[in-house]
Amino acid sequence: MDFEVTYSEAQQGFRREVRAWLDANVPPGLTRVPSSPADSLARYRELRALGRKLGDRGWLYPRAPSQYGGGGLDVDHCIILEEEVDRLGLSLPPYYDSGGRLGSATILVWGTEAQKRAMLPPIYRGEVRTWQLLTEPGAGSDLAGVTTTAIRDGDAYVINGQKIFVGSDHGADRIWMIAVTSPGGQRHENLSWFMIDAALPGITVQPMELLGTGGEGGTDPVTKNTVFFDQVRVPAFTLVGGENHGWKAATTHLELEHGAGGRIGRHRVWDRLLAYCQQTKRDGVPLAQHPDTRDLLADAYVKTEVMRLFGLRNFWLTYARQPRSYEGPQLSYYRKLTGLWMTGAILEMVGPAALTTDPTWGSPDGFLELQQRNGIVAVHPGGTADIQRVTMARRIGIGRTSREAAGTVH
Amino acid sequence: MDLSLTEPQELLRGAARTFVEREAPTHAIVAAHRGDATLAADLWRKAIALGWPGILVPAGYGGSESSLTDAAVLFEELGRGPVPGPFFSSGVLGALTVLEAATEAQRRAILPRVARGEVVLTVAITEPNASWGSPGVTLTPPRVGDRFRLDGTKLFVADATAATHFVVVVRTGEVAGDLSVLLVEATAPGVRSRLLPGFLSWQGEVTFEGVDVPAAALLGRENQGGAALERALLRAWPVLCAFMVGGCQAVFEMSVAHSRQRVQFGVPIGKFQRVQDHVIRLVNHLDAARWTTAEALWKLDTGRPAIDAVHLAKAVSSEAYLEACNAAHEVHAGQGSLTEYGLVAHTQMSRTLFPYLGDPRWHKRRMADALSW
Repeated sequence: MDFEVTYSEAQQGFRREVRAWLDANVPPGLTRVPSSPADSLARYRELRALGRKLGDRGWLYPRAPSQYGGGGLDVDHCIILEEEVDRLGLSLPPYYDSGGRLGSATILVWGTEAQKRAMLPPIYRGEVRTWQLLTEPGAGSDLAGVTTTAIRDGDAYVINGQKIFVGSDHGADRIWMIAVTSPGGQRHENLSWFMIDAALPGITVQPMELLGTGGEGGTDPVTKNTVFFDQVRVPAFTLVGGENHGWKAATTHLELEHGAGGRIGRHRVWDRLLAYCQQTKRDGVPLAQHPDTRDLLADAYVKTEVMRLFGLRNFWLTYARQPRSYEGPQLSYYRKLTGLWMTGAILEMVGPAALTTDPTWGSPDGFLELQQRNGIVAVHPGGTADIQRVTMARRIGIGRTSREAAGTVH
Repeated sequence: MDLSLTEPQELLRGAARTFVEREAPTHAIVAAHRGDATLAADLWRKAIALGWPGILVPAGYGGSESSLTDAAVLFEELGRGPVPGPFFSSGVLGALTVLEAATEAQRRAILPRVARGEVVLTVAITEPNASWGSPGVTLTPPRVGDRFRLDGTKLFVADATAATHFVVVVRTGEVAGDLSVLLVEATAPGVRSRLLPGFLSWQGEVTFEGVDVPAAALLGRENQGGAALERALLRAWPVLCAFMVGGCQAVFEMSVAHSRQRVQFGVPIGKFQRVQDHVIRLVNHLDAARWTTAEALWKLDTGRPAIDAVHLAKAVSSEAYLEACNAAHEVHAGQGSLTEYGLVAHTQMSRTLFPYLGDPRWHKRRMADALSW
């Protein structure tokens, strides 16, 4: 076994190239906590500009096929890119692009050649930011129970309905969504995916007020939205994966969303928590030196280490193209439950300072207060912790005559 | 990065699995737990033919000088039994302690016999105060001329009645780490050993009553034993973890099979999400133990700093095996508590290994210290 990526001289050369490029092109302060809504928008524009520059070089989606605008890079180069971007506290893409990430993977597996040529390059080049729209007021864990309709009308579909817990702040250019194309049709045989323009007439976006976003990738304080569709007309070409074949295509999307991709980055909340406990004194002694706090820190470290190793394993399974079973939802489940457990552990270690954003009495940038919120909220996005367990059980084959196969991931 | 086993490791795993399935079936393991000593003796004889007692002994001393990861492949399969016998006590912790502590001449005299299985070692550390750290070692044999005189008790000694020799850790100085290691023959006058009764597996009490130990039986130099034992433990712990990973894997497979076969309310019980939850809790513990152990082994085998990773692995694996068995009992209900079914052998072993060579909290504290928080 080898847990470390070993780098050839050619790879190290690539690392120097990447580092030099990032140094020249990543503006200072990009990971700042925005000071105002206007600053938040300014920061978003900087991130998008960086995304386009990365996209020009094929570094925004480095592993995606180059004939569609991706980087076409092998695993060894992708790892270096991810590491270097992670070193700056960023990720790829550097902004929320869930529909781009998950939609493009689905299109690669299930789209027609013409769709791949039309839909993928704008995503891979960073020209568009895409939200994914799955959840509805009456369809959360039961995704197959969505009721937003997309009815065929000539060479178009007409969409009506409502999606919730959508996206982020600052809007999107594209929408990746699932809708009912055969009302009254058999469950699981009545759904289709669409990749559509977000600026079409009849689409209304309304922010939701939430405890937090619980974004699995990070802890950015961004918004979620309700999106209404009122007689929205989209070209038939935007339907991906075949009419009423949406449930099958969903396996690709959900597999990725359930953590199958894995990751190799650092656990930033943990790093900051440890530093905080080493620097903050109680009764004249650093928190990390109080025996009770130290024990809890050790418990927290053990969980983050297990999480890191599950992520590393999934990363390897994906890139070495090894067969997968329950590992994707296992990582997701473990991450969700650890985050939730961590809220209580941090409160016990740090006390009420973990609950305030006050610049004097709270943690730096209020990162602990944010964790208190997001640790709770994160239990639901991408499928609740319970849904992850249901999926794991099917994959393991508990109580069934056969084991369910993991979804296809390109 | 490559998280797969090498081809020779896959071959070893296959051979070990076949061996365990053929030579140590559940009924034989259950009989061993009931006090029948023939299985362990029988297995040991056959394992000698395969060279397993010498798996970690360097080639220069007649062993096969395998990597720790190789040894872990074997021990994971043994853990699936769980197979009784001094595989770990003699072949891993015993051999490594001799290797780390002894002089060159002593190694040449002892290790080839350990590799051939003629000498069966077990390391005796813990005393009635039941502490695993060096401060817990208080047995202080006065030196009389060229002899040590040993009087006292070592407790929870693994495979105490199978050993031909005890590697006895004693105090020879006042500083916490001032320990020495004596090699004491199990048949020496004044040495007695017995297995402790109850819900623990093959651990015993060893008493020394006026035992005369020649100075030549001191492994290496006086007061150097503590550091040597630490170096040996560092490499032995993750192999023990691999044994526990094998145990977790076995009870996971039992639980999945049972959840598919056992019908209640007209359906296999695995259809119930409450039952599924137990299996999922189990597999999460299994994988946590598997990957923390694998990474610690890799760090050791490649000469990377590994102290924190090893303590992490032992803390996670001890907890995992215990919790895996708890979850398996919830899945199996009454069936699981029948000793002949085989789950109980694991449950008992999981309890035995939970505190053995340091409980999870002890290891987590040492991990925190190693990380210099």
